[in-house]
Amino acid sequence: MTGATRQSPAQTGIVPKRRRVSGFLLLIAVLAVAVVASTWLAVSIGAVHVALPQAWGIVADRLLPGVLTDGGARTWTPVQEQIVWEFRLPRALLALLVGAGLSVVGAVLQALVRNPLADPFLLGISSGASFGAVLVLILGASALGGLSLSAAAFAGSLLSLALVYTLAQRSGRLSPSRLVLAGVALAYLFQAAYSFVLQLAQSGRAAQQVLFWLMGSLGGARWHMLPLPAVVLAAGVTYLLLQHRPLNALAAGEETAVSLGVNVHRFRLILFVLTSLLVGVLVATSGAIAFVGLIVPHAARLLVGADHRRVLPVSALLGAVFLQFVDIAARTVNAPQELALSIVTALFGVPFFLWLLRRRSVDRAVSVT
Amino acid sequence: MKLDLRGVSVTLDGHPIVHEADLVVDDGEFVGLVGPNGCGKSTLLRSIYRALRPAAGLITVDGDDVHRLPARQAARRTAVVAQETPSDLDFTVAEIVFMGRTPYRADAAGDEELCARALERVGLAGATERIFATLSGGEKQRVLLARALAQQTRLLLLDEPTSHLDIRHQLEILHLVRELGIATLAVLHDLNQAAAFCDRLYVMNAGRIVADGPPEQVLTPDLICQVYGVRAVHRTQLVFERLKEER
Repeated sequence: MTGATRQSPAQTGIVPKRRRVSGFLLLIAVLAVAVVASTWLAVSIGAVHVALPQAWGIVADRLLPGVLTDGGARTWTPVQEQIVWEFRLPRALLALLVGAGLSVVGAVLQALVRNPLADPFLLGISSGASFGAVLVLILGASALGGLSLSAAAFAGSLLSLALVYTLAQRSGRLSPSRLVLAGVALAYLFQAAYSFVLQLAQSGRAAQQVLFWLMGSLGGARWHMLPLPAVVLAAGVTYLLLQHRPLNALAAGEETAVSLGVNVHRFRLILFVLTSLLVGVLVATSGAIAFVGLIVPHAARLLVGADHRRVLPVSALLGAVFLQFVDIAARTVNAPQELALSIVTALFGVPFFLWLLRRRSVDRAVSVT
Repeated sequence: MKLDLRGVSVTLDGHPIVHEADLVVDDGEFVGLVGPNGCGKSTLLRSIYRALRPAAGLITVDGDDVHRLPARQAARRTAVVAQETPSDLDFTVAEIVFMGRTPYRADAAGDEELCARALERVGLAGATERIFATLSGGEKQRVLLARALAQQTRLLLLDEPTSHLDIRHQLEILHLVRELGIATLAVLHDLNQAAAFCDRLYVMNAGRIVADGPPEQVLTPDLICQVYGVRAVHRTQLVFERLKEER
């Protein structure tokens, strides 16, 4: 009988922890499998069909020639190989990176401003990044002193976040409601600014390209675009996981965090730079994709609660899978035309946002802040 | 453990809020800070837990200037139960109490045990998995107190710990804190409660500490008239006492 060894919660301590830990690990395992499966699917689906085993073979053959494929018997054509290796795989991997990155940024921002409705869009960070990127795309890098697309996007997002932060501060305290309102205002400002630049641009074609890219697209993904976001994301997530306690304390409130020994000014500055950097790097590769940073952290919290030690990894994996499927949908629904990713995410995001608004706890959160 | 404030002045946005406050809390003492709304009580308290930096003066805990200590070190000496309601993200009671371990390195094995005991101490041992936001006002205050206990400090700061609570829960919280025997500085609103629970009182008015000492010496009709602008009259009145068998 296992019943005899079972103890009451008071005896076992604060949390029936063993069960929660194993449940969490199971969830991580399931999500990891989903990441691989969705990527496999993404590599196989498209205008040129590549069957799943062949898609696996192409990738395996490239990674470990002759080891993972049965004696290297190639059952695919060179065209298929080129499509899978040169285009679909980098695109699928970029989808994972962007989805994970935006979701982690969303989770951090929601803790930072203590508002469940926060995301890179709401705070104007994405618009700032887009503005920086549009300047480079339309005026050319030389006009901006040789700034690269990523650097310009990072500068834009950092500028907007710094502005939002300054505007929202009063008496040395940061008011969440002022933060969000300042973010919304700045988002409009930056949107107006890049719209202006777009209108000035004489080439209608370039403007149209930019416009599509502004709504999010992974169409331009190539291998050389992957290392930078991968490194930034890995470093960022590692740092955030190490800081899960201060992050929790900050989510509980500024004064609380101070009283719990968090150097709030420095920590918040680090988080601002980190989120700006992530958003800048991601927007530079994929454009501005809406709603991912809002939806995914919420879904993660529904699954594992509010503790950032669990929320961050689950958000990253969930976001990666989510954006992978969004991109698959964007490529296939209206083929051969591609949909902008924000159109697809809005399809999920808007109903979710409205549902979130209707929840009592969010009502309370909004009225309190 | 000794809290010592010498000539502490605090300004907010260029407005002087606290003028040259001197205040001492000795080991095991329960000291009350009272005064009318806006007199600077909470501001003074915030300067002790480093939410504000004083414009002048020195605040020491155990002989060290708290504003020179590393943030983590300071938080190992001083815990706070403030008015701020934590988080709109749905933290559980256990997660809130675990936050008390933030100033300490890594997830030590003893943390869980410590937090469990803190919750037991405030009478909420069975509530670990409940969502903090759904608790009643009295339960929330007790959870925050448990978090402060998990922080394992020898100085406790309370900012109106009984506001929004009904009379029974007010008494419960104050009794609980008294029984802890930790050096405590509490901003209190209710003068009768301050008189009943505190070893000593400091009275603030317009940013200055105008009186201090044992409650019976401090809370004279004269002083109350001068500070609050009301006449204090001794009358036969209901005295509320906690029932011993409760909780």
